[in-house]
Amino acid sequence: MTTATLEDRNRRTMLFAFGAALAMLGLGYAAVPLYDLFCRVTGFGGTTQVASEAEADAAASRATGATYSIRFDANTARDMPWTFEPLQVTDTIAVGERDMAFYMARNDTNEPITGTATFNVEPKSAGRYFAKVQCFCFVEQTLQPGEEIRMPVLYYVDPAALDDPLMQDVEQITLSYTFHRGLAQDADEAAANNEELR
Amino acid sequence: MATTADGFQAHTEDHAHDHADHKPGFFARWFMSTNHKDIGTLYLIFAIIAGIIGGAISGLMRWELAAPGLQVMGQVVSALGGDGTSFDQQGHMWNVLITAHGLIMVFFMVMPAMIGGFGNWFVPLMIGAPDMAFPRMNNVSFWLTVAGFFSLLFSLFVPGGVGNGAGIGWTAYAPLSTTASPGPAVDFAIFSLHLAGAGSILGATNFITTIFNMRAPGMTLHKMPLFVWSVLVTAFLLLLALPVLAAAITMLLTDRNFGTTFFTAAGGGDPVLYQHLFWFFGHPEVYIMILPGFGMVSQIVATFSRKPVFGYLGMAYAMVAIGVVGFIVWAHHMYTVGLSVNTKMYFTAATMVIAVPTGIKIFSWIATMWGGSIEFKSPMVWAMGFIFLFTVGGVTGVVLANGGIDDNLHDTYYVVAHFHYVLSMGAVFSIFAGFYYWFPKMSGRWHSEFLSHLHFWTFFVGVNVIFFPMHFLGLQGMARRYPDFTAAYSYWNEIASYGYLIMAGSMIIFFVNIGYALLAGRRAEDNYWGEGATTLEWSLSSPPPFHQFETLPVIEDHHSADDHISAKPATA
Amino acid sequence: MNLGDIARNKLQSLALLVAAVSLAILPQSSFAQEISEPATSVDEAVAEGQSVADGEVVTETDAPAFEHFGPDMILGQPTSFEDDAIASMTFQDQYTVNGDYALWMHDAILMPIITAISLFVLGLLMWVILRYRRAKNPNPSKTSHNTLIEVIWTVVPVIILVVIAVPSISLIAKQYQAPPEDAITIKANGYQWYWGYEYVDNGGFEVISNMLSVEEALTAGEPHQLAVDNRMVVPVGVPIRLQTFGADVIHSFGMPSLWFKLDAVPGRINEKVLTIEQEGIYYGQCMELCGARHGYMPITIEARSMEDFNAWVQSQPGGMTRAQLDAEAAAAAAPAPEADAEGEEADADAEADAADAETAAAAA
Repeated sequence: MTTATLEDRNRRTMLFAFGAALAMLGLGYAAVPLYDLFCRVTGFGGTTQVASEAEADAAASRATGATYSIRFDANTARDMPWTFEPLQVTDTIAVGERDMAFYMARNDTNEPITGTATFNVEPKSAGRYFAKVQCFCFVEQTLQPGEEIRMPVLYYVDPAALDDPLMQDVEQITLSYTFHRGLAQDADEAAANNEELR
Repeated sequence: MATTADGFQAHTEDHAHDHADHKPGFFARWFMSTNHKDIGTLYLIFAIIAGIIGGAISGLMRWELAAPGLQVMGQVVSALGGDGTSFDQQGHMWNVLITAHGLIMVFFMVMPAMIGGFGNWFVPLMIGAPDMAFPRMNNVSFWLTVAGFFSLLFSLFVPGGVGNGAGIGWTAYAPLSTTASPGPAVDFAIFSLHLAGAGSILGATNFITTIFNMRAPGMTLHKMPLFVWSVLVTAFLLLLALPVLAAAITMLLTDRNFGTTFFTAAGGGDPVLYQHLFWFFGHPEVYIMILPGFGMVSQIVATFSRKPVFGYLGMAYAMVAIGVVGFIVWAHHMYTVGLSVNTKMYFTAATMVIAVPTGIKIFSWIATMWGGSIEFKSPMVWAMGFIFLFTVGGVTGVVLANGGIDDNLHDTYYVVAHFHYVLSMGAVFSIFAGFYYWFPKMSGRWHSEFLSHLHFWTFFVGVNVIFFPMHFLGLQGMARRYPDFTAAYSYWNEIASYGYLIMAGSMIIFFVNIGYALLAGRRAEDNYWGEGATTLEWSLSSPPPFHQFETLPVIEDHHSADDHISAKPATA
Repeated sequence: MNLGDIARNKLQSLALLVAAVSLAILPQSSFAQEISEPATSVDEAVAEGQSVADGEVVTETDAPAFEHFGPDMILGQPTSFEDDAIASMTFQDQYTVNGDYALWMHDAILMPIITAISLFVLGLLMWVILRYRRAKNPNPSKTSHNTLIEVIWTVVPVIILVVIAVPSISLIAKQYQAPPEDAITIKANGYQWYWGYEYVDNGGFEVISNMLSVEEALTAGEPHQLAVDNRMVVPVGVPIRLQTFGADVIHSFGMPSLWFKLDAVPGRINEKVLTIEQEGIYYGQCMELCGARHGYMPITIEARSMEDFNAWVQSQPGGMTRAQLDAEAAAAAAPAPEADAEGEEADADAEADAADAETAAAAA
């Protein structure tokens, strides 16, 4: 028998068990940022990468002349009364080279509406090689009634994609955006973002 | 062996008569209970009541599905006090019923019966402990579960979108459960999971503490009966999985009510993350529902074969392995959600690994019977039915584990057939096996063995007639969670609905049997199964004294570690 | 029978509802097409005084006739027990290469293995019941160990699983084959509670597809609960890049006879390649719980020859074949940069114009 009484040992085991349960509870919540981080780092689920100008330059220096076809896809959530579409359905780009594509968004209602965009690429394995240098999706957008804007995305495909066996048979990468009605309708702030973007 | 147990019994009787049977008054005994056996009884009664409600709901479902068209949903809406029976309200009512059926059967029938009922009753008895480590916490666990059940029932009568009730499926996928289901019903359904989950976490803590700290002298972990092992592994699964569910559904609640966007794409959240979290809980949950059944079947097979369990250590560690691997296979529930190719390949391979420890258990049970002297009492026939039907459910699981095959079978009746074979036949058969095994021990009265066998055969036929045709429907592409279907699916659906009637008739036999036993059953001896029953509960009277093992029994090491566990009283 | 009458009444109200929903949706969909392809609607273009590219006017008038398949062309649908008892108990016939492979894997590998395992276990149970019942074997053995047999029943299942895993992994690899660049792209958008099929490579029009009522379906000779008003017409024999998107909640695009199922998730697209081998009609349904009318948003795919497909495309408002689009793009690329490649109206925003020029330059 140990020196501790049964009551003490029980209390210790209980605290240990509650600690484990609390840790798992914390892990449950931590899953949100961790999942987000995991997706952004590994491109899991077709999450695109964000690249600096320097990284883009580095990628460009490794360009081999191979090309990918890029498809541009636009969706709106059901409660989002905007017209949103790509200004080019597909485009062929050189791997490693920066390219700019444009989307058009128009507010078809009589009230200012703020929108946020979510995005992914297909095939999903392309996510870790598809890097955006500049994107309208980085900030919220506010459109006045009837206002129409063109929104650029500056991106490139990392030449490392050519070495990935999962990317071997990929000929076309779809870049998809979905505009949602912004939950926080802070019009002023978003308008400022728009100005900055232009 | 038996002689030792008898000798021990004679000894405890002396105590029993002076203070061990001093019971509190009715209200204090049943509403403020701190006695593990009373709480176990409460859990069993609760599980039976929940099972009747959940089973009645499945009756409505089978009635609806007996023929194409909408048959009964309109009446159900009216009966539950809904205002209006529009087409959408009928469709919603269907979703409410499948949600309630799933949640009730998982959280308020199987888990309370296995862990709350048999776990509370027999873990302390089997390890030679006077009670659970935290008797009052045990009481809190039970009443939290009851409160959770009432919260779920309450949700049926408050608005949940198109009509009353939460029509979100037991999985409660966002955004159907968030933006697409306004009204308090979903909040109450989620809250009911919080309450039941909290109760289960407290219960799991209690079991872990009891099993680690309160084993009788000499009972090492490797001498514990397999049922205790199974409850220990289950408790760990509960402890590690339920908090993740709690976190996920709390985030659902805040998404619904406080403007957060954890799973709302509009705010940058990802609905798929909810599925990952849910199934990180949900897959271990599947094993939570079946592991105690494994434990009970092990005890029963050994008892009626009059042999020790074959490969005891392998059996114990197979359960541990199932528990561990159960945490790393969750995404096989989400094969069609848009996983990348390597993710899907990983989860396919990992899922199939679980078949190995499960196979070890099946074959070890058969090896236990091999060379035995088998007596086909009612618990044994239920246990043998379990072994076969669980095998059938298990092999369809291997089919579904293949991500590429699952592209066709995902969310079809094949899946429904699969999980009812492992739960409605696996878990429920083991519950009935355990019930008939221990009922005379718990009540002191004999059930009718004839009615028990009749119950088995009718139930066996009934559930197979319900669920086997569902394989065909699933292969033919019939989607699950549908209240209506095209004419081509009529035949097998009608057969399945007839199966329900057989099953329902079988349950009437069960209730008659309980009634008979309580009113007119003959008294049960201490060890009524004879020399095959060697665990410590058989050394006590039937029913056991209100307080047992006030003097701890000592476990003797007879011949080798894997021999029968036997006990003799500590020196008086 | 009483119940039958009730069911029929319910189904009539269902028919009314479906009709009402279609009415509610139709203006929306035409509106959506209008805004997605402003220049393709002739009326609107004339009203705005814009010039319309020649090819588009031609499509409105010279489109070849297109007629939908009748019920004799139904291939992918469930079989009733009365028609063929055996067929009603197994998979639907498969009409894709991957479906054939998966079906082979199920029928030739999985089914024999799981049947053998189940029968083996059943046989062992029967044997112990007969051989080791108390009457036959009153004295139990005390064996509780046999290392050899324990190793065997661990290793043999592992070998069986490897046998299953090899074709399984290769099936997944086949299913994830990326579509070729020139695959026709079709988007299946899931809504509560209907599907919209968006032909992004053919002018971007969207076909809104609602379930037919029981009466309508039976009149048309189609299976009820599966037949729809507007089918998803696709070309046969060529790869289709099928993308799914959920506009409100999660739906799932499930086609049992094509071995295809892909969730439609809000906020992102999913993509898989689908190549249908045979001309015909295929039925599917929504396979993820999506609310009250989850059971009432079926999918009907009509696979047609490329020629028929092109004819159908041209019969749709704003529909253009690939050849027409190529010709239009070539015509637009020739004049000065202010003629936008997409036929967009001139934008008042000068900066945007500059950006436009950049796009055109990049395209050239």
